[in-house]
Amino acid sequence: MNSPIDIVVCLKLTARPGVADADERFAGVSPADQAALETALVLAEHSRGSVTAAAVGPVAAELALREALACGAHRAVRLDAPSALDSAEVARQLEGVVGDAAIVVCGDYSLDRGSGSVPAFLAHRLRCAQALGLVSVDHTGVVDRMLHVVRRLDGGRRELLTVPLPCVLSVEGSVARLRRAGLRDALAARTTNIDVRPSAPMAAHAATAVVTPYRPRARTMMSPGDPDPLARLRALTDATGSSTRGETVALEPGEAAERILRSLREWGYLD
Amino acid sequence: MSDRTQHAANPDVDVDVIVVGAGPAGSCAAIALARAGFSVVLLERGPFPGSKNMYGGVVYPRILDELIPRWYDEAPVQRWITRRSTMVMTDTQAMSIDFRNDAWAAPPYNGATAYRPDFDHWLAGHAESAGAQLLCSTTATGLLRDRSGAVTGVTTDRPDGDLTARLVIACDGVNSFLAKDAGLYREVAAKHYTLGVKETIGLPKEVIDERFGVRGREGVDIEIIGCTSGVNGGGFVYTNLDTVAVGVVLKLPALAAQQLRPEQIIAKMKTHSAIAPLVEGGELKEYSAHLIPEAGLSMMPKLATAGLLVAGDAAALCLAAGIWLEGVNFAMASGMYAGQAAAEALRRGDTSEQGLAGYERRLTETFVLRDHRKLRRAPALVLSDRVQHRYPQMVAAVVERMFRVDNPDPKPGLRRILAQERKRAGVRRRDLARDGWAGLRTFG
Repeated sequence: MNSPIDIVVCLKLTARPGVADADERFAGVSPADQAALETALVLAEHSRGSVTAAAVGPVAAELALREALACGAHRAVRLDAPSALDSAEVARQLEGVVGDAAIVVCGDYSLDRGSGSVPAFLAHRLRCAQALGLVSVDHTGVVDRMLHVVRRLDGGRRELLTVPLPCVLSVEGSVARLRRAGLRDALAARTTNIDVRPSAPMAAHAATAVVTPYRPRARTMMSPGDPDPLARLRALTDATGSSTRGETVALEPGEAAERILRSLREWGYLD
Repeated sequence: MSDRTQHAANPDVDVDVIVVGAGPAGSCAAIALARAGFSVVLLERGPFPGSKNMYGGVVYPRILDELIPRWYDEAPVQRWITRRSTMVMTDTQAMSIDFRNDAWAAPPYNGATAYRPDFDHWLAGHAESAGAQLLCSTTATGLLRDRSGAVTGVTTDRPDGDLTARLVIACDGVNSFLAKDAGLYREVAAKHYTLGVKETIGLPKEVIDERFGVRGREGVDIEIIGCTSGVNGGGFVYTNLDTVAVGVVLKLPALAAQQLRPEQIIAKMKTHSAIAPLVEGGELKEYSAHLIPEAGLSMMPKLATAGLLVAGDAAALCLAAGIWLEGVNFAMASGMYAGQAAAEALRRGDTSEQGLAGYERRLTETFVLRDHRKLRRAPALVLSDRVQHRYPQMVAAVVERMFRVDNPDPKPGLRRILAQERKRAGVRRRDLARDGWAGLRTFG
């Protein structure tokens, strides 16, 4: 049996969708973060490891950490920092906590307009393997310091990966359902000490993220030329057109590039 | 948090007292006990106190003077009620008795409107500050008992969820599982309950101020009879800062018999010419519903058994007496007195039924049971068919004829109008006399 491994799960407390203010009564962690915590706990159980829950943010972030402690995390660390930091800065702040961990588990993205980029920044800073956007984590390989995971790809495809430790994982909410905390653990977690550390000095490039409501990117569309209003409506909405535009083609790189550009022109993305 | 709040004085139990339910009753019980030096766990099934609670009008927090001096400086109040109206309504008519009192807009105030998620959360915060351990998202599913049958704790829906205590106070609301589990209810019947449903409608504050004739933090509460589409019950409209609450309270068997849905009844009420101008153009923010224990003394359970006290709605301590519709203040008072009686019993080391008798004594000596006893006939009278259906028609018709000018006919005498409209409404003289006498005995 290999030595116990240290696992860090990174959590972010956010307001629930549709709730405008930061009232802690309506705050929580995302299903993905819950799945990350459960994944970390299961991995720790199968490796005699320990789980540290980490969060970057003001004191309200301790709500998420206490829930993690109630569910079985062994310790909790809060990096005292403003809540609206950009992903690179969050990863930089977390580096001091996760530096020696064999596995870092994150949710694939937070509820508040999360870009899912913190895990990637973390993996970059730690110079370790990363496997992001996972839909399945097989815990049996953890004793051999090798994880077998399944990653979601576009078009409903899946990628099977073998990830050596140390690594950073990010998981979707469907990966695991967070266990319900026991009564005594929940009571004890209310008063368990949380390791609060001052945040590292902000990097020179660090910028405070401006949090705004999510807006999908604008897409340029060709103006339909048909004089018939119904035909124009159909052209704009695809109401009667084919619902699938994807196709798989096998071409040489040069031909493939030409084909992509042609399709983009057809679809109105390029002039 | 100090050690005393984490460990019971008796090492055989986890905690001195478990209070189930962090509503007004539970939080007041927890405040009283924690301040008396006992360890208290306050269990709440919602994600935070007040998240599952609703009410239909005004909070009268004067009872809080004892627990939280100058509570009005910090309580999350929406508006202070300075106008109280009672409205009798038919399909096309409405008659109001309207009372305004400027003194109610200043300390120590009288009644207030508040959002329960704010008010209950604030009150539970005082319980936590006093040393109680609040644990949310935890449902007490049953009682633990020793061989003698005395209550020794609760089971919960959490893993490893049994928690033992020297005493349990059940404040788990209407339809209390714990009071039923303890066998304290003699009878549980639908006729004892009403269903309260409410729409909270958003409007700009200036619009509300203008429509209701108030300013600043002044608020209005309107209680209505005859607005429930033939279902026995009543209605209400009250103002928050930037929302107006419109709702009805419906007697359950009557609602089932009429086969109407509550939202239909509210929708019809909102189209009435007396209500529509108050809410038109508003945006529906919330729809909520809750059972109300309205039968008063006739449904009240036994309030104590060995190791267990029951308070608030769980004890059916809700006063529905027509002109007085009060629940939150009865919940706060009964919770506070339960906490005080529990502290007394724990100090003596006697949590038997006799040892807990101080609870009922306190309720009997104060408004909690005195009001219920005095007004014990009120719920049946107010929800009776005559009061609900015939009298509103009769009153509206009498007033309509009083104010109608039928020149060249001379004005009819009031006695003649009364007699004619009484007959037209199908009200027998002896029933009118009987109900009048009952009203005098009840409210006099």
